Amino acid sequence: MIVAENLTRIYTMGRVEVHALRGVSLEVAKGEFVGIMGASGSGKSTLLHILGLLDRPTSGRVTIDGTDVLGLTDHRRTLFRLNRLGYVFQDYALIGELTALENVYLTSLVRGAPKEEYLKKSAGILERVGLADRMDHRQSELSGGEQQRVAIARALVNNPSILLADEPCANLDSQTSRSILDLFARLNEDLGQTILMVSHEEWHKEYFCRVATLRDGLIGDMVECRRRKPHPGGEA
Amino acid sequence: MTTLFTSLRVSAFLAWKSIQRGSKGTLALTIMIIALIFVNLVFLPSIISGVVETFNTQSIDFDFGNLVIEPREGSQYISGVTSLQKTVERIPGITGTSPRIAAGATFFYKGHNAASTLYGITPDDERSVTKIADYMTAGEFLSNGDTDAIILGTTLAGTEGQEAGGLPSLQGVAVGDSVEVTYPNGETRTYRVKGIYQTQSISVDTAAFVTSREMSGVLGLRDQASMILVKTAVDGREEEYKTELLSYGIQEQIRTFREKAGGFVDQAIQSFNIINTISALVSLIIAIVVVFIVIFINTVNRRRQIGILKAIGIDQQIIINSYVLQVLFITAVGALAGMALNAGVTTYLTAYPLVFPGGPVYPVVEVSAILQSVASLFAVSVVAGYIPAWQIAREDILTAIRG
Ligand SMILES: Nc1ncnc2c1ncn2[C@@H]1O[C@H](COP(=O)(O)OP(=O)(O)OP(=O)(O)O)[C@@H](O)[C@H]1O
Ligand SMILES: [Mg+2]
Repeated sequence: MIVAENLTRIYTMGRVEVHALRGVSLEVAKGEFVGIMGASGSGKSTLLHILGLLDRPTSGRVTIDGTDVLGLTDHRRTLFRLNRLGYVFQDYALIGELTALENVYLTSLVRGAPKEEYLKKSAGILERVGLADRMDHRQSELSGGEQQRVAIARALVNNPSILLADEPCANLDSQTSRSILDLFARLNEDLGQTILMVSHEEWHKEYFCRVATLRDGLIGDMVECRRRKPHPGGEA
Repeated sequence: MTTLFTSLRVSAFLAWKSIQRGSKGTLALTIMIIALIFVNLVFLPSIISGVVETFNTQSIDFDFGNLVIEPREGSQYISGVTSLQKTVERIPGITGTSPRIAAGATFFYKGHNAASTLYGITPDDERSVTKIADYMTAGEFLSNGDTDAIILGTTLAGTEGQEAGGLPSLQGVAVGDSVEVTYPNGETRTYRVKGIYQTQSISVDTAAFVTSREMSGVLGLRDQASMILVKTAVDGREEEYKTELLSYGIQEQIRTFREKAGGFVDQAIQSFNIINTISALVSLIIAIVVVFIVIFINTVNRRRQIGILKAIGIDQQIIINSYVLQVLFITAVGALAGMALNAGVTTYLTAYPLVFPGGPVYPVVEVSAILQSVASLFAVSVVAGYIPAWQIAREDILTAIRG
């Protein structure tokens, strides 16, 4: 369960202040698949950064499963990201010196997984995003869409309880997009993963339980979608 | 939970990938600079050790042997030389003794004259202590029975028409020539030059030798000597042998070759060591600056990458350690390259040694000097590598990712 209360984020650039978030409150239950939409510059990435423990709000509170994540030390926040979160960056953010496969298994290495296991798992997930024959390529040898899928594989490899994805399909054709969204939906249903995903595409709504639309740093509206919130072991 | 071992493994993984896939040119350049600094750290001490070594061997081989027995306080000569020699030679570890009579003498040759030291020796005994007999450049060494023969040091014999820069020189004596010698008691003798030797030790090359039989006759001595040179089986244990000799009830004064040489070398070594310390400090400062700049540029170039690593949950200590490991690797390879380079320089200088007044100086690379240089290089590199890595790894994640 993610609870964000009254988040504001002000960027100061010299004398100019940019109010990227002006008081966003949001609750996401465990196992929900929530879409975040809104115009460019409306604060979607800023919100996701804060929920992904990559940034701190200017004011407001964030608790995840009861933990006040803003009160944690940097070291604890790093461990929290490693063990609980998966994050797909809008600009992929791959490590240029590592191959696709190495990018994916790096965090498993940090978590102390046995080599056999993390190699198998990482290769498996790369296959699922359609990159079976690109595992040994480095960032500079991959197309934008391929880099994006490596970033997705990296975020998913440890089965994080929360997946935060910032426009993960921005560079993918609709067929690949659909396969990625199907993958998300499966993980969401099978493993009860909570997913927050930023998107621009109307048709993505068919995958979401709810959609929050940001307007100028505020949640303009919140609509329930076609897909019902799955409940582990029964009806909602 | 990440254990220490796991986090080190990740650091090593990142460090290795970075070395493997980073710029080879920068890597090679950095390794070369470290290698040169290493050579600079090891080279000068090796020359200083070489000077000490040369001085010691020269002193032992040509000037003094290992120990010198001198007359008792207040006497000019040691008396009862033969029996004293026997006593000393019975001591285990003593391989030879050579009594010498020494006197200041004036040498005359074809209108040139020179004042220097004349020694009276028993040639067979002298052979058992010094190596002068092996360093004849012309003619032969003395024999026990010689009475009218003299051998001269190459400097004293001199070269025709050339002054020896303030050193005693007869300017061109050759084997077979006759040289006139005036003893301190006013007696004058004429000797045939039997040989000329060159040892590269100034005090020996400016001296001359006759037999002690001859010299005793001229000076009216009986079984007496100015000193007895003592040779021991191994070098470097002079102090032990000195104590040993004293325990045999020898009443004469005993000095090691080092004591005989006086403070001259100690002073020279002190000055050398000051130069060496300054040079080492400068090298290490250069090492700090170079490693700092390299790692700094390296980390600045990887700001975004460091931000990403932190974003996906990699602790900053792992990231810092990966840079420290890179530095350790670069330093290790640099030190190895430096050792190879230094071996090259040493080999060259052993084949073509530097010539000092005390004789040819061969570089002596001491293990302690290598260890010290390696240790200081590592210490310096780790510090110089840690700081920039730490600075950048501390940075805010999103600022770093935006680059
Ligand atoms: N580091 C920053 N410094 C200053 N202003 C910033 C910074 N990051 C974002 N902003 C501003 O904050 C506002 C929200 O940015 P944000 O990246 O959250 O938008 P977004 O909704 O993700 O847009 P897009 O759909 O284009 O990705 C924008 O006006 C942007 O210019
Ligand atoms: Mg954005």
